[in-house]
Amino acid sequence: MLQNLLSPEFFNAILRATTPILFAALASSVASKSGITNMALEGIMLFSALFGVIFSAMTGSFPLGLLLTMVAGGVIGLMLAFFVLNLKTDEILAAIAINLMATGGTVLLMLAVSGDRGSSTSISNVSAPKIVIPLIDQIPFLGKILSGQNLMTYLSILAVVVMHLFLYKTPLGLKIRAVGENKNAAESVGISARKIQYIALILSGVLASMGGFFLSGGYMNMFTKDMSAGKGYIALAASAMGGDTPVGGFLVSLLFGAAQALANMMQLTDIPHELIQMVPYLTTLVGLGIYSYMGVRKRQKLAGK
Amino acid sequence: MNMKKVLAMLLTASMAFSMVACGGNETTPSEEGNADASEPATEESTEGNSEEGEAPAASGEGYKAALLLNGTLGDKSFYDSANEGLTRLRDELGADTFDFKVEQMGGTTADEAKWEPTLLDYCDSGEYDVIIMGTWQMAEPLAHAAEEYPDQKFIFFDEQFDFEGNGNPQNIYNILYKQNEVSYLIGAAAAMMTTDETIEGIDPATKKIGFLGGMDNAVINDFLKGYEQGAHDVDPEIEVVIGWVGDFVDSTKGKDIALGQYQSGVDVGYNVAGNAGLGQIEAAGDSGLYAFGVDSDQAALLPDYADRIPTSALKNVGNSLYRAINLDLEGNLGYGTVETLGFAEGGVEIVKDAHYEEMLPENIRTALDEMEQKIISGEIVVETAIER
Repeated sequence: MLQNLLSPEFFNAILRATTPILFAALASSVASKSGITNMALEGIMLFSALFGVIFSAMTGSFPLGLLLTMVAGGVIGLMLAFFVLNLKTDEILAAIAINLMATGGTVLLMLAVSGDRGSSTSISNVSAPKIVIPLIDQIPFLGKILSGQNLMTYLSILAVVVMHLFLYKTPLGLKIRAVGENKNAAESVGISARKIQYIALILSGVLASMGGFFLSGGYMNMFTKDMSAGKGYIALAASAMGGDTPVGGFLVSLLFGAAQALANMMQLTDIPHELIQMVPYLTTLVGLGIYSYMGVRKRQKLAGK
Repeated sequence: MNMKKVLAMLLTASMAFSMVACGGNETTPSEEGNADASEPATEESTEGNSEEGEAPAASGEGYKAALLLNGTLGDKSFYDSANEGLTRLRDELGADTFDFKVEQMGGTTADEAKWEPTLLDYCDSGEYDVIIMGTWQMAEPLAHAAEEYPDQKFIFFDEQFDFEGNGNPQNIYNILYKQNEVSYLIGAAAAMMTTDETIEGIDPATKKIGFLGGMDNAVINDFLKGYEQGAHDVDPEIEVVIGWVGDFVDSTKGKDIALGQYQSGVDVGYNVAGNAGLGQIEAAGDSGLYAFGVDSDQAALLPDYADRIPTSALKNVGNSLYRAINLDLEGNLGYGTVETLGFAEGGVEIVKDAHYEEMLPENIRTALDEMEQKIISGEIVVETAIER
């Protein structure tokens, strides 16, 4: 067991499990910063997992497939924005509608495209490649973790940096945060809150779609029915626990990824699997506890106690 | 304002509807028990749709059956098998003696609404000696139809019908399959493979085989029990490494658990986890090792991974219907009872095609054939996790 925990394979498993959650957590953070909870992440990921297979098979190329999937994810984000901002639908209800539509819609679409119902085995998609970094892969132990990951995993970490700079160092990022803090105040200085929230939700859809693409084109190499399996919701929690910041979301996603990988690894032991399957949820609970305790401490400090 | 209200109501209504619809779907694993979670996984309607089905009505005298599918032909699994069995019987007996009609009702949520009306229409027509259907989703419509048409006979396969809860209807014959028996052979095959150094990629030093289950329920445990017994009968030192996904859909989790098993020294796995089980097959592909298929011929369905899948454990719905109708023609079919069919009745089998012969050495294949004979003769009794 200990030997397994110290193997590079275990760290690879952590990064693998973290990647989809991280993309979706970033998606959640940008939406939340603009003042909207994007609960449709689950559905967007599921749709994108299928789109990724279809588009990469159609174009025969990974970059084009990813690009088209990101466009499609952006369109779903746009749809959500249209429902919420123009039609004034409740954001949670609209998101649930998208999630439910994804469950049935992906099967319908898959049936139409390939004639399959459960998995996209007859579509030959192009998965994201694994990247071997020269020199770094020569380092003992660390090289096997730092190098040889899936391209999407590297992209997800790059996305953390980009999103951090975007939200905190660019004028548009400032506007997104301003709208999220106080819509009326932002509008009083001439910012169009609606436009900003549209942008944030589209961006959110694009990020979530990258997570979805990874599920069927990297993690697995095919789409299987309902394969998002709650990862969108876990990401929502990860983002919230990380204070809706990209870096915070990254750290919590990593924690969740590690908990999942640990639980999978623990299945090799004699510990009852019912207990093991609790590990990821227990981690969430403990994490939330620590987070809220820190929040309380911070408020007490600010209040001068 | 009014517009908004209407919209909100429409949305709520549509969501409530879809939730109900989805709710129906999500009961799959628990209710069905889910040996067959991969059944939808394997449907492919590329062929077979047109070849069977609406045969000309028989001349009134012969025995007529209706096969109602809550899906479509071309699934390369249960439904195609059912159709094949009935076609075989018709070819043997001649259409004057036995004929049947296939009704493809469709398997999507949108189709669900027409299953029961279609069933009732068929009962109402009174033209059919027996109406055949299967899977847990048809249990409720069947219960209604059986009560409303006590003179109509039904055959129901691959899900336990709740006789007691429905007033013991005497017009239903219920077929179940012995997944423990077929899993016994798979376990034995896995045990023989993991110590056979002639098979590429196998490390004979580690006597470990893997099992990936969906949820810890009676049917999956029945698979597991047979698998373990088969493995231990070959070599008591074999360690069976068991993993549970916790659902039947999370293929990425299935893949990670299976990868862990393969890295820990497992050479051969067995997936009984619906779509999540596809993760184990991909993990076998990534590790250059092996995994057994379930419910349909997964080597044929997954050509990219065929060289990782020696064979698959199947329930032979076609054989069981062929047998049932032959019995009924003799007047010996036990309506009002449940029968669980194993190797002896041809209710279960492993795929034995050219691919199987290519992948498994002859000594393993011969040993498996002998075990199958011993199960049939009763010399080997496979334990079960289900009270029958």
